[in-house]
Amino acid sequence: MTFSDEQLAGKIVLHAVLPVIKVLLEDDPAFKKSFEGLSGIVQFRAQDTDAPVGAYLVFDKGDFCVEQGIFEGKADLLFDFPSLKSMNDMFRGKPVLPRLGPLFKAIPSRFGLLLKTFKVLLAMKILMPNAQPKTPEKAYLKVKMSLYMVSTALSRMNKAGDPDMKAWTSKQPERIYQWSVEGSDIACYLKVKAGNTKAGRGVYTRRQPFVHMRFSSVDNALPVLSNSVDTVTAIAQGLLVNDGSPEYGGRVGDFMLRIAKLLS
Amino acid sequence: MSKTDSTFSWTIYDANTLSQREIYGIVLKDLGALHPEIVGLSADLAKSTKIGTFGDAYPDRFFNFGIAEQNMFGVSAGLARAGLIPFVSTFSAFASMRACEFLRTDVCYQNLNVKVIATHGGISFGSAGSTHHALEDFAIVRALPNLTVIVPADAIETAQAVKRSMDIDGPVYIRIGRGFEPAVYESEDYEFEIGKAIEMRSGSDLCIIATGNTVWHAVQAADILKEESDISARVLNMHTLKPLDEESILKALVDTRRLITVEDHSIINGLGSAVADVIAGSGKACAFTKLGIPDTFTPHGHPEDLMHNFKIDTDGIVEKVRELLNREFEETEDWEDEV
Amino acid sequence: MTLTSQELEVLQERAKLIRREIVDVTGWSGGAHVGGSLSMVDILTVLYWKYMNIDPSRPDWEERDRFVLSKGHGGVGHAVVLAQRGYFDRKELREFNETDSMLGMHLDAHKVLGCEASTGSMGHGLSQAVGMALGARVLKKDWRVYCLVGDGESNEGSIWEAAMSAAHYKLDNLIVFLDRNHMMIDGPTEEVMSLEPLADKWRAFGFETVEVDGHDLVQLADAIEQALQHKGKPFMILCDTVKGKGVDYMEGNPGWHYGGLSTEQVEAAKRSIGE
Repeated sequence: MTFSDEQLAGKIVLHAVLPVIKVLLEDDPAFKKSFEGLSGIVQFRAQDTDAPVGAYLVFDKGDFCVEQGIFEGKADLLFDFPSLKSMNDMFRGKPVLPRLGPLFKAIPSRFGLLLKTFKVLLAMKILMPNAQPKTPEKAYLKVKMSLYMVSTALSRMNKAGDPDMKAWTSKQPERIYQWSVEGSDIACYLKVKAGNTKAGRGVYTRRQPFVHMRFSSVDNALPVLSNSVDTVTAIAQGLLVNDGSPEYGGRVGDFMLRIAKLLS
Repeated sequence: MSKTDSTFSWTIYDANTLSQREIYGIVLKDLGALHPEIVGLSADLAKSTKIGTFGDAYPDRFFNFGIAEQNMFGVSAGLARAGLIPFVSTFSAFASMRACEFLRTDVCYQNLNVKVIATHGGISFGSAGSTHHALEDFAIVRALPNLTVIVPADAIETAQAVKRSMDIDGPVYIRIGRGFEPAVYESEDYEFEIGKAIEMRSGSDLCIIATGNTVWHAVQAADILKEESDISARVLNMHTLKPLDEESILKALVDTRRLITVEDHSIINGLGSAVADVIAGSGKACAFTKLGIPDTFTPHGHPEDLMHNFKIDTDGIVEKVRELLNREFEETEDWEDEV
Repeated sequence: MTLTSQELEVLQERAKLIRREIVDVTGWSGGAHVGGSLSMVDILTVLYWKYMNIDPSRPDWEERDRFVLSKGHGGVGHAVVLAQRGYFDRKELREFNETDSMLGMHLDAHKVLGCEASTGSMGHGLSQAVGMALGARVLKKDWRVYCLVGDGESNEGSIWEAAMSAAHYKLDNLIVFLDRNHMMIDGPTEEVMSLEPLADKWRAFGFETVEVDGHDLVQLADAIEQALQHKGKPFMILCDTVKGKGVDYMEGNPGWHYGGLSTEQVEAAKRSIGE
């Protein structure tokens, strides 16, 4: 099943980008405090060719998760996009104003939720390639969010049935593609086996990785993840080490680049 | 006290990031500083085999012989006769087959101090296909008298082997991969002695005897078997094929009574057959399986894929061990993405 | 004139003695590569008794010149030369071919003092000679390497690999002789696997090449003198020879590549060689 670039990008936004909000909520002390005890549903919805697609953020007394689809009940906040492209563009950092509802009927506490959500979405801009984090804390967040996002995006692309990804994953036995950043706790992985994929957090312990992309530091990961330095140069400059099969590591790099292009 | 011990210019970081071949190049370069009698020879593969690292440092002591391996090996014998210590490097297929007679008659028969670094052993040069796969080299070189045969497990062990080869006044054949094999050792801080197998994992249910790039896979397999199925597998890193550490094999035989060998080589006349000889000679019964490339020429492909298809990787070893021990397992198949 | 008339006479006598002893050894040993050994006698005489810088009492002397018999089946000839030159007791020749003795068909460098390489399989010796010559250069030594190859042996690709590398590395401390006796086991070389134009080939491979009568000691001496002066290229002295030279019933006869000799045949051979 082939998807258009916007459809793929849309899937990545909903399945991979939105969820990394969790990183901000957990690791940024300001956000952590601001969302403490908060409850509410924030729906993102976009019009695809046939039907609307979307995902909603669930805040439950401070806990957070992302659910796919349209919330059955009444969402506290609705970000409504006329097209997938406009939703994707917002996450690409382009100036887009979705239709907001039920904004003007909002009660003060919902207004609070709106403001906080906007703040979070603004903070998500750090994922943009051109965004230069100004503090080590922001750099850490950017790298962590980017890696979490990309690992999930790869898995979603495969699950969506993208022909290239599927062809690549279907021939492989169980293999772990691991990312890690030295000098930090940032780590995530992609488990691949016979057409299946699973994105995971942390270091996979049940077997050694088949390919391990190690960034030598948070700062050195930034240029690579924002695609201002290509992988080969990165390895030559010592920003990144690729342990394991260079051919398969290269392929992962290609897929990561594809995701970056979809989101730019 | 080894005559070659000194501070070397590479670090453990290098070992984990550079390929096996590159470590050997740097080690040789460092050895070259200590030993002016060391010379390097290549058959138009200086860059691929990384002996070029030595060559760049000592251009007056490095000689390319072009794509003429037979002559290169004959010349190495002559250089050794003149009092030098030649390190000759080319792909395993060419070292063991193209130049076989020269290795045998000029170097081994005359027992000359020549060190052969045979790279791209087994199917490690996957993409090149059968012409460049060396699946017979163990079989050939094991049969050459006077020759010491070492198959290091990773980059660090290659460095050890190269350094220790200088302790032997005679021919040595070191067989390595293409340089992207996973690291087994984190540092040189372990006992490496030519002719002494290393117990990587202790165990009593069975013993996996591996050599070269399959050692890493054997260790992974043993760990998986332990965790998932509570199987206690001993793993022996049989880095020296000649002289073979028969004692360690006999001990494994007696302790476990189940032996599996694994090698990136034909199952005919390699490590497996060497171990089988020991078993047969012992007069003791045991369950025994050889893992390796079957009696077939190999297709091209990524080496990791080929190893998987021929079941000499972690998964293959795990599967074979389970078969040997006749146990069933269910794996959890949870494919939900984490957030 | 590179050889005085007295020197010439001495060398001629020596060559006869060597030939006679080769025939003797062939006789009592049960068989040897007599034809190809007889064809190379004059070359070895000039080298071992005039030009090579050697000391038989010190076979490991570091500064010695080296000689590699690439056509290793000439072992019986080389053994007689080494024995007569004083590397080991001549009585060892009595045990030629005996099980586990010092001397056999192909000389073993482990056992035979003065033997620089264990040759026997064709196409190996020249490579080893190249290695020695290269080694001399690395060690900045002045000793030279002499190598004798056969014409049949020149079918082997490795000979040409060695030649190519000798020229590439400009090994002017390497002087190669080719025993062009025109015969191999299955017949004349040009019928089995043609080599001509052979001199052209060596020239094309980068060797300074001269052609001499391989049995004319003066021509051989002149060629060696020329070779010793020559710089920048390895040197090839292409020696036109006769297989079985010295023994009338063997000369030019491919059947005498290898053979045994009865007592009568030995006597007849020695009569032909002369006193």
